[in-house]
Amino acid sequence: MLASRAFSLVGRRSICTSLCLRAHGHAGVVKADDFSLPAYVDRRDVPLPEVAFVRDLSAQQKALKEKEKASWTALSIDEKVELYRMKFNETYAEMNKGTNEWKTVLGGVLFFLGVSGIILIWQKHFMYGPIPHTFSEEWLSAQTKRMLDMRVNPVEGISSQWDFEKNEWKK
Amino acid sequence: ARGVQHTAVRQAHRKHAPNFHDKYGNLVLLGGAAVFTTVWGYVLTQLGMEWGLSPVGRVTPREWRE
Repeated sequence: MLASRAFSLVGRRSICTSLCLRAHGHAGVVKADDFSLPAYVDRRDVPLPEVAFVRDLSAQQKALKEKEKASWTALSIDEKVELYRMKFNETYAEMNKGTNEWKTVLGGVLFFLGVSGIILIWQKHFMYGPIPHTFSEEWLSAQTKRMLDMRVNPVEGISSQWDFEKNEWKK
Repeated sequence: ARGVQHTAVRQAHRKHAPNFHDKYGNLVLLGGAAVFTTVWGYVLTQLGMEWGLSPVGRVTPREWRE
């Protein structure tokens, strides 16, 4: 009731859309752009889009649409497929089909990880100094024995990994 | 499900043009993997980096007292 009251107050003419105005032949009114009209979309959750896929039909397609108004048993398989393709762009199978994009992504990732390895090579060659003598085999073995003699980290650390009875690393 | 299969077979002749990933995906993947393995294989073994690995199971303790 409120709606009809509003109508009588405002008047029907002003609720015309821009398309209506165009039909009245008013010059200088902007034509409705494509993006403002209902659009076709291929989406899994929109089984029946607002408009058909093919908007401007050829003469052949128009004839087929006329034929569609009669009994559908008269249509051939190809005609049915053509009617489907006029209304829809991709089938659900085509829509849901996966791509090979992951190959490009993964390949790219691995390549650039390789680039960071090259940066490391550059750093070692041009930037790092010599390795300190405390990393030599002789020093490390002496250092390790001293740590074990001192019982460094006996609970969960290095001394817990050494078997003091058998004099070897625990298996 | 069977109906979908039938439809898929019928539409099979309508192949969309191959995109970049169809044409070069395998090449990019294998190329990237090759670059990765060569570079890091070299870095980890041949470059002479000190990685500071644990002595456990690796180093044999040696007497240190003079």
